[in-house]
Amino acid sequence: MKENEAAWPDMSKHRKEPQSKELFMSALKTTVPVFLGYIPLGMAFGFLLDGAGYHWGYAFLMSLFIYAGSGQFLAVALLAAGAGLTEFVIATLLLNLRHSFYGLSLLDRFSDVGKVKPYLIFALTDETYALLTTTEVPAGGSKARFYFYITALDHLYWIMGCVLGAVLGSILNLNLEGMAFVLTALFVVLTIEQYFHSTSRFPFTAALGAGVVSLVLFSPENMLLLSIIFGTVILIAHEKFLGEKTALEAYTAEGRVKEEN
Amino acid sequence: MTETLGTLQMLVIIAAVALATFATRALPFICFSCRAPPKSLSMIEKNLPPMILLLLVIYCLKDVQWFSAPYGLPELFTIGIVAGLHLWKRNAMLSIFAGTGLYMVLVQLNLFSFLC
Repeated sequence: MKENEAAWPDMSKHRKEPQSKELFMSALKTTVPVFLGYIPLGMAFGFLLDGAGYHWGYAFLMSLFIYAGSGQFLAVALLAAGAGLTEFVIATLLLNLRHSFYGLSLLDRFSDVGKVKPYLIFALTDETYALLTTTEVPAGGSKARFYFYITALDHLYWIMGCVLGAVLGSILNLNLEGMAFVLTALFVVLTIEQYFHSTSRFPFTAALGAGVVSLVLFSPENMLLLSIIFGTVILIAHEKFLGEKTALEAYTAEGRVKEEN
Repeated sequence: MTETLGTLQMLVIIAAVALATFATRALPFICFSCRAPPKSLSMIEKNLPPMILLLLVIYCLKDVQWFSAPYGLPELFTIGIVAGLHLWKRNAMLSIFAGTGLYMVLVQLNLFSFLC
């Protein structure tokens, strides 16, 4: 992994600035839960790929270049099923389409991050998105650098997990059952933080409705994308309705003013 | 075991899947790279993160078997503890690690087995 770190230029370039180290430590602390989640999850992927008969080098390449948890699991399943290239591409597009929604809500946040932007977009996983949208940049620190540290650290953890799993294969029989729950706990905590920071309660109502309905109606593979689409439609409909209501209120208020006159 | 693919085939597949994944992540940025995003998008930018985070929590429950023991209780119980702990102490590390430790104990020792 060491060579890899060196290959990412921004990590060492700005060492001169005093805040850089603090910023990195802060990102390191922020990403600890992701580390603990990505190691067992990545290892599970590595085990699977190794079990399918592939060299650990592929686990490294996939975690480095694809870097999508569920996407890589899907790829292993398709490899085992002997799928064609078109199936790989279509299945991946459908599975990862949810990431488009992530980007949609990051357009503004990413508009001033400079040259790390392509990398931040490339490495935008569920967990990184959750951290970036909830964690505040430490006072006085550079947003671009803080975002880059978080994103690159998460990426590194994932690569470590995947390679470790593939190399160890079935040699090691660690009882990591339940450890991936760390990501669920992380999402719960970040949701509560969002709740404290959010002015509107409606997104949570929309999510609860869309999520529970999707959990019941849709298959596990499809539910996240469909629930995000469903929830977004609810948000937009609510906004439209509210907009009409305020317009109506303004109209009646105007009428009242006229009547008073 | 099915036959494994050759190196070239694997590299082509990895490249294709990597590009497809990157495309889904880059799509909104490409769409709005030269024109300003519509005004209504600011509502989306504000409300999408909280909604997606709660949806991710619900998504984590996708593989729970609700109709057979232990009926998703270890998950719901631990999520309750994590949320309660976080609302109380508001210490992210404490909530996350206490919750995960608890969950690992619950499932590895099968503490909800009395429900069977």
